[in-house]
Amino acid sequence: MIEAHGLAKRYGSKTAVDHVTFTVQPGRVTGFLGPNGAGKSTTMRMIMGLDKPTAGTVTVNGRPYAKLARPLAEVGALLEAKAVHSGRSAFNHLRALAATHAIPTQRVLDVIELTGLESVAKKRVGGFSLGMGQRLGIAAALLGDPQTLILDEPVNGLDPEGVIWVRNLAKHLASEGRTVFLSSHLMSEVALTADHVIVIGRGRILADTSVEDLIAASERKHVRVRSPQAGDLAALLKEKDAQVTAPEADVLEVTGPDAASVGELAAAGRIVLHELTPIQSTLEEAYMSLTADAVEYRSENLSDDAGAEPADLAAAAVGAHLTDPSTTAPAAGRPATGTAPATSSQEVSDR
Amino acid sequence: MSTTTLDAPAGRKPSPGVTVKKVSFGRLLRSEWIKLWSLRSTWWTLGSTVVVLVGTALMIAAAAVFVAGQDADGGGGEAGQLFPASMVVTVGYQFGALVVAVLGSMVITGEYSTGMIRSTFTVAPHRLGAYTAKATVLAAVTAVLVAVAVGLSWLTTYPLLKPHGITVDWSDADQLRPLYGVVLYVVLVALFAIGIGTLIRHTAGAIFTMVAVFLVIPLPFGIASQFPGAPAWVVEINKFLPSVAGSAITGSGGDSVAAGGPEILEPWVGMGVLAAYTAALLIAGGISLKTRDA
Repeated sequence: MIEAHGLAKRYGSKTAVDHVTFTVQPGRVTGFLGPNGAGKSTTMRMIMGLDKPTAGTVTVNGRPYAKLARPLAEVGALLEAKAVHSGRSAFNHLRALAATHAIPTQRVLDVIELTGLESVAKKRVGGFSLGMGQRLGIAAALLGDPQTLILDEPVNGLDPEGVIWVRNLAKHLASEGRTVFLSSHLMSEVALTADHVIVIGRGRILADTSVEDLIAASERKHVRVRSPQAGDLAALLKEKDAQVTAPEADVLEVTGPDAASVGELAAAGRIVLHELTPIQSTLEEAYMSLTADAVEYRSENLSDDAGAEPADLAAAAVGAHLTDPSTTAPAAGRPATGTAPATSSQEVSDR
Repeated sequence: MSTTTLDAPAGRKPSPGVTVKKVSFGRLLRSEWIKLWSLRSTWWTLGSTVVVLVGTALMIAAAAVFVAGQDADGGGGEAGQLFPASMVVTVGYQFGALVVAVLGSMVITGEYSTGMIRSTFTVAPHRLGAYTAKATVLAAVTAVLVAVAVGLSWLTTYPLLKPHGITVDWSDADQLRPLYGVVLYVVLVALFAIGIGTLIRHTAGAIFTMVAVFLVIPLPFGIASQFPGAPAWVVEINKFLPSVAGSAITGSGGDSVAAGGPEILEPWVGMGVLAAYTAALLIAGGISLKTRDA
């Protein structure tokens, strides 16, 4: 179990982690999701006692990391690929780490076998590919058979087989009752691996929810209708309790009824339609918009409306899953937040 | 909190087969020992230290034999005064110290530059234990190595020098002091380098600093303070430079001035000054290591 309370880290004037509070529970895989530069790695380094928090505390199994007598048995961490001296062989690296806890050489050989590094174990780490470096990092994390695992971007640089291996490993370890905390900047990766997800952006927690709920919120559909009689149609739809917004003239975005119902309703009301499009936002879009304000390094937007569509969905997700009132700040500035949370609270079966 | 709660077994799973014991200083020593010897740079730096020490001893011994040959013609016995055996045997120690300074720097900067330091602090979160273990292992290995190199120098030069009566008088404390004094000196330089390396964290920067402090800065001061009219402050600074102070252990205080050299400290005072610098740097390094983010 990892508990962070008011955890903050500032580098000069730049705030990397902004007073976050969260708990990572044992027995499940918790994803730690956020764009690059959101504060994931900094948070993980603070958990491991490598970086000193500017404020707040973080404990592992109830104690600060530096106070653990047998840290390898409590926490195993893959903090970044190649936290390894490049001149040393994988075997000697693991042997040196194991020696600090009097872990027998047999265990070193076991984790080498488990991570599939047998053929390169005697080679110097400097020549390792990114994927082999990741495997070595995971091997080191597993050395002490720890109760808690912290994996920072574990699938980075792994081949597809390796990615699946990491997913299964994480799930397997969690099923044994261990705490698994796994960061990624890929929503899809977290959706496939994690049971629970903590979303971070610009150092703040944006959501702390189950993956199921995040998916449910993001899969909310709506229908885009273009009609010269948009006003009349909106009136009809509102009679049927549909949520209607008008992002531009002659265009409605309808939430509630599906495209067929909207079409039938229009036909019954003798309303001309120029467009009738069911829009389903993907999980990725939901995540993109959730973190839209929180992206540190933004690439230029190539299509105009890619980001605009799911904005209210994301706001809904935020509204529904906020755990800390202070984190409303990023969501508040977004357009269409006024109506969206109301709809989402109906749709998301909530606690 | 969340609606999705898996069947979360609260109890900790016993892990059969993996014995994990508490971190202790002895285990940290073992870890640092494995780390030291599993890098190629250790082998070539330590190897070249021995080669440099023994090689220079042989060269100077050859020179001594040559001078002794000249003496024999002239009937003098100056070779023994010019090349006392204890000097011949230890003559390369400044070069040896430089090589060990490189090793001492890399032992710590190599961890910072590769990211290894994060693994080290993850397994030893108190940090100072690992730091002390690292310094202890390096000091012990350096001490044994320099002692062996001095022994080898004595062994290999003995057959050359013996016929000319240039031998170490084992009953003379002034002749013995340089023999173990250089061991102490090189060990202190190695620890000095660990302190510098921990503070600077970059291999190139740390090695540059070591070379500047032990080789470059002493040069102008050494030359200047030999002139009779040298300002007093130059002489004062010179004798308190780490390398000059530490090297006093190989002389006997007044000898240097008598031989026309600059004024230096008494042997043990000088060694004490170097030890004080080293201790200060190790403590500063420890504070930096403990307080700064890794």
